[in-house]
Amino acid sequence: MVHLITGGSGSGKSAYAEEEIVRCRKHILEDSGIFSPFLYVATMIPRGREAEKKIRRHREQRMDEGFLTLEKYTQLSGLEIPSNAGILLECVSNLAANEFYERNRDFEGAFEAVVSGIQSISGKTEHLVIVTNEVFSDINGYSQETQEYRRLLGKINCALARMADKVTEVVYGIPVVYKDERKDGGTFME
Amino acid sequence: MILVVGGAYQGKLVFAKELCPKTEWIDGRECKEEEILSCGGIHHFHAYVERQLKAGQPVKQLAGNIADENPEIVIVSDEIGYGIIPVDAFDREYRETAGRLCTELAVYADKVYRVVCGIGVLLKG
Repeated sequence: MVHLITGGSGSGKSAYAEEEIVRCRKHILEDSGIFSPFLYVATMIPRGREAEKKIRRHREQRMDEGFLTLEKYTQLSGLEIPSNAGILLECVSNLAANEFYERNRDFEGAFEAVVSGIQSISGKTEHLVIVTNEVFSDINGYSQETQEYRRLLGKINCALARMADKVTEVVYGIPVVYKDERKDGGTFME
Repeated sequence: MILVVGGAYQGKLVFAKELCPKTEWIDGRECKEEEILSCGGIHHFHAYVERQLKAGQPVKQLAGNIADENPEIVIVSDEIGYGIIPVDAFDREYRETAGRLCTELAVYADKVYRVVCGIGVLLKG
């Protein structure tokens, strides 16, 4: 199952995503008794003090929860995935920026790399939780380069939502479910 | 009237076209007001508001005029009011006016959808 989780900055989406993964281990343990680690795929390049601080906060959040952290900033399709109880990928907004700038702002190349990379990971786990970001409801007064990046992330989010079995936006810690194909087979559309 | 809102690049127009496959669309980046009052649907509605304000044209009556003259219209607009208040005075006016107009249109609309990651959520109707 693939679960896409989105939300604004500081919305509590990371903490919610970790809860979702940890909950899935409880199910696995109850069903089979087999213990495997969770994988945390970190995509943020640790550049500067702000990034280091953020990474430290996220690492502390995951302590004692049995996560194995893999750092991969681009080309997720080349990542070796060990046997696992679930994968948490965070965050698509970093991954998209890394692919976009690594490829000299090649929009289509970055789009393909992100989506096919995530697709390849989803084939190597029973439970993939993907964290992305809402940056689309501001006034459209950004530089052309930033607009291209926002368009890229928007297109990626739509593609991931189609791929996902479940899509949730976290609003200040409150999960709002937009799609859950495990439950009712559809969206809120009529 | 159907109102479809959401952030930029969320697949709002694709969603609206699936919802209303027979609707013919005009583009707020280039259309005239009389076209809005007779069209099937308009997308980039916020861009129409921006153009009118830039040209010094009034838009205060726009929502009421649309409701009176084209009550079956489908309107697709970006939500642009979720960021920091812009430093630029025109940007502030545009952002506020677009928000007020969509709020008014939402009152007239039979259905209001918000699109996130390509998924339409029914907010009203």
